[in-house]
Order: sequence, then structure tokens, then C-alpha cells
Amino acid sequence: MIPPVYITGTGVLCSAGSDRQALWESLTKGTRGIGPVRILDTDLRDFPVGEVPLTDAQLRQRAGAAEGLSRTSLMGILAVGEALSQAGLTDLKEIPLVSGTTVGGMDLTEKTFPDYSVSHDCGASTDAIAAHFGGTRATTVSTACSSAANALILGANLIRSGRADIVVAGGSECLTSFHLHGFHSLMILDPQPCRPFDIRRAGLNLGEGAAFLVLESEASVKGRKINPLARLAGFGNACDAFHQTASSENGEGAFLAMSKALEMASLLPGDISYVNAHGTGTPNNDASESAALRRVFGNRIPPVSSTKAYTGHTTSASGSIEAVISVLCLQHQALPGQPAPLEPDPACILPLTGPLQGPVDHVLCNSFGFGGNDTSLLFSACR
Amino acid sequence: MNRKVYIRSLCCLGADDPDFRELFSVLEARRMSRLLKRAVWTSVHALKDGGINLPDAIITATDFGCIEQSEAFLKALKGLDGAVFRPTHFMQSTHNTISSLIAIRLGCHGYNVTYSHRGRSFDSALLDAWMQLSLGDIDTALVGWFDETTPLFSRLVPQARERAFSLLLTTNPNGALAELASPDLADLRPFLAMYAPELTID
Repeated sequence: MIPPVYITGTGVLCSAGSDRQALWESLTKGTRGIGPVRILDTDLRDFPVGEVPLTDAQLRQRAGAAEGLSRTSLMGILAVGEALSQAGLTDLKEIPLVSGTTVGGMDLTEKTFPDYSVSHDCGASTDAIAAHFGGTRATTVSTACSSAANALILGANLIRSGRADIVVAGGSECLTSFHLHGFHSLMILDPQPCRPFDIRRAGLNLGEGAAFLVLESEASVKGRKINPLARLAGFGNACDAFHQTASSENGEGAFLAMSKALEMASLLPGDISYVNAHGTGTPNNDASESAALRRVFGNRIPPVSSTKAYTGHTTSASGSIEAVISVLCLQHQALPGQPAPLEPDPACILPLTGPLQGPVDHVLCNSFGFGGNDTSLLFSACR
Repeated sequence: MNRKVYIRSLCCLGADDPDFRELFSVLEARRMSRLLKRAVWTSVHALKDGGINLPDAIITATDFGCIEQSEAFLKALKGLDGAVFRPTHFMQSTHNTISSLIAIRLGCHGYNVTYSHRGRSFDSALLDAWMQLSLGDIDTALVGWFDETTPLFSRLVPQARERAFSLLLTTNPNGALAELASPDLADLRPFLAMYAPELTID
């Protein structure tokens, strides 16, 4: 068991909801945030995306943010603001910020290239979020699609080691024509709304968004006399070490990440109420993740679903968006299922379709990135 | 648990490249950017010098990431210089491609993470390694710092530097070069000035 790391605030913004309440309603009512490109300036328009339905100007106005910031920073500011407010905090003056991103300010770069500037990199996009809230201590994790999950691990370790009492951690990533073309060049975009774990699945839908969580030590929670929302009870980071963009057939990295998280939390596979899968909808990921789930859980697999069916694959932000969803499951004692109908694939686990009522005690949340950067987070209810 | 952390070994490259044929076949070398080859080189040599086959963690810093490959994909996006979209350019444009390639090369399934926060990237990598070592989560960590630049990027970002540096940390004092008393880069500077004079730190 690790010393308690509490979650006292959550904030989120994605195509399926402009805050945590709206996102939870979409998940439980089965409303998908997947549709044609409306805002992104790109020539690649044949693939549905999970786009936040606000222009940069609208995001800037809503956030009360400075001119010239990347969409990644603007969405991050909105999510951090919601998380701080729930935790009864107002700024980041004494609080470190850990953000996960890979795209960073590529939205700015791709508009002006070959002219671009130092203010477009990952670190700059994080510093802009911190600066909006008066913060000066910030860093950026960049492990592709597991970036935000790994940001939460660094945040938890800052608290475990006594180096911080409160940390805000998560991730933010906007859509760009750059990585839309990138995923297209790898031929893993589904021309239809994505179908995770379905035998007809043909790839992912790229999404965008941001989510941040306030992590807090036991002493700080007691000192501030607040009720935590949940506990980050364990985590595991492992490398598949198989291929730069493909996952191994037996899901070694995913298996190790989930196993480490269970071990750290001193829990058994049978204790897990729900797995929020990485479940991108690519033939390779879902088969590999299913193999790993079967290795961890044997023939007693708990309810599993991929909420990317609603949000799209928000890449670097997906780890924290799904961490917020995991915390919402614990708070609401309910689980989001995938849209029906679903055609089962014998090579895959059978995901939950439609919502399910609790009890929900412990949730595993998977995030896997290019290069086999696999991370699993384990959230537990506070009772 | 508050265990002490020691520096076991390190490897740093200057402006010149070593003979990569020691590590890569002609075909392998052709598929990898120069930055990736240099990163695998310093990783393999730091481990060899430290007498450790597999580290428990690979923690990588890159101030600005894989600029050359990103520019190649951007040129295709903007229709410049007749460039076309190549999946290899996209794959190798992500910041974590360095750390994951080191893991693939070593067959290392341990903790693997990448920090990219400009001049504070290596501080974050060092802090991550130091916390996990002192907490008892891991016994060894390979901490790397890799950067490249291009003519275009150097013009836009004069502070961009080229780097290939690997540092092997352990909790075992036997054979250590020095104790890493704190995770602050400032405290490590005198050591680096002596052992890795090629390394540019702003």
C-alpha cells in the first residue's frame, strides 16, 4: 500500500462535454461527441473527429485568457479552472502543475511554418496554463497517448515523497492537421464513428480535449477539512518494448502496467469493479489489450468499456480525461457502457454496452502510447 | 523509505559522431535519425560502463524533441520542397520515440517516461528518477538528455542545443562515481563539468 494520494478536484473539457457534469450526462445517455470536422483548418476531411465545438476565440473568451495561446493551452486553462474550483482552490501560486502533451502548440506552428517560434513547443503550452493561474512550477510529460496518465504518476510521486502537498496533474491536446495526417499515414483512422472491441472496427477517431485532477496528501486534506472524491491507490508504468507504433500480440506492456498497479494498491484482480480501457478502436490495440486483460483477469473479467466511443481518441489528454471518468464512476456508483449494437470479436473481450449501476469500489484506467509507453492507474472509492 | 542515490556511470557525446557500425547494421542505421542513433549509443555505453544489463527505469529528457522529423512532416503538410507524408517521419516526430527506441533496443519492460519542458526537461527527469530510487520503487535508472537542432530551428530558436547524454543512477554505493545528494541540476553541475565537459547546459 502506498501512502494515500487523494483526488480533491477534477476538471474536463472534450467533444462529449464542456465540463464534468456534461460529460457524465453524455456517457450515461449515450450521446457521442463524434462528427465531421467543423473547426480545424485541414484538407483531410473524410474522417470523423471528436472536436470541441468552440472556436479558439470562443475558448479564449470563456477562459479569459491572453492572446496568442495555443488551443492546447486554452483547453488546459478551462479544465484546470474547473478542477481548482471543485477543490476549493483559486490559483497555482504554491502548487506545481504537471501536464501531458505531445502536440503542444503545433496548431500555431502548422499555420505559419516554415516560420515558427519557441513559443510553440510542449513546455510553452504548459507554462501558459500555469502562468494563467499565477503558477511558476510546471513540467511536461510527453509519452504520446499515455502522457496525461504519466503526468498523474509524477504528481503522485511528488506527494508520496513529501515534496508537495497539492499537485495539479493531467493533460491537454488539441486537434491539428499535423497529427490527423500522421494517424492517416499510419492508416489507423476509421472513416466511421469508432467501434472499440467490435469485430468491424477499422481504427480510431482523433479527438481533442483537456482534463486535470487535483492530487492531495492526507495531511493537506485533513488540514483543509475537505472531503476527497477518490484515492489514486496505485499505478503501473511499463514498456511494451515491441515496436514504435504497434502493440505486442500478448500485450506484455499492458499486462505489466495493470499488474504493477494492482500490486501497489495491494488489491487482487477480483477486487476491480470496472476497467476503463485504452480501447482506441484500432484492430491491433484492442486485440493486444484484450490479450493483456485476459492474462490479468483470467475468465473473470470485470465490466470493461472504452469511452473513446464518445470522446474520440484525445491522445495525450486521454489518460486524464479517462481518469476523471473513472472518478465520476466512483462518485456516481455507475459505469458507462459503449454504444449498442456491438458485434463481438472472439479475439477481444466483450465490452459493456449501455450504462450499469454499481457498486463501484476500484477502477483500473488504461492508457497506452506509441513506443509501448503503457500506463495503468487504479482509483479507489473513499469510504 | 529514504534511500541514497548514486551515480554509477555516464556517457556523453560531443559534436562528432562515433562509429555507429559498432551498434547498428547499415539497414538499421538508415532507418534511424542521427539523434536516435546517438541516444542509443550513449545509453548502451553508460550501461556497459556501469556493468548493468537492464535498468529498472528509462527516463528521458528532450528540451524540444525530434525537430528534424517534425520539420520533414510539416514540409509535407505545407507542400514544401516536394515533400510527401511518410509514416516514419510522423512516428519519429513524437518526443517519446527516443525513450521507447532505447527500451526496444535493450528489451527493457521497466518504467519508461519522457519529459519535454524546454530548459527544465532534464531537471524533471532527474527528479523523477531520484524520487523513485529514494522511495524504493526502483534500484537503477537510466536518465538521458537528448536534443538536436536544424538550420531552420537554430535560426528561430538560438538557444537550441545538440545533446546526447546518459547517466546511470543506482541505490548501490559500490563502484559509484559520486552520490547524488539532491535531484537539483544545480548541485550536479560541478560533477558534470568534470565528467561530461561536452554537455551544454544553459
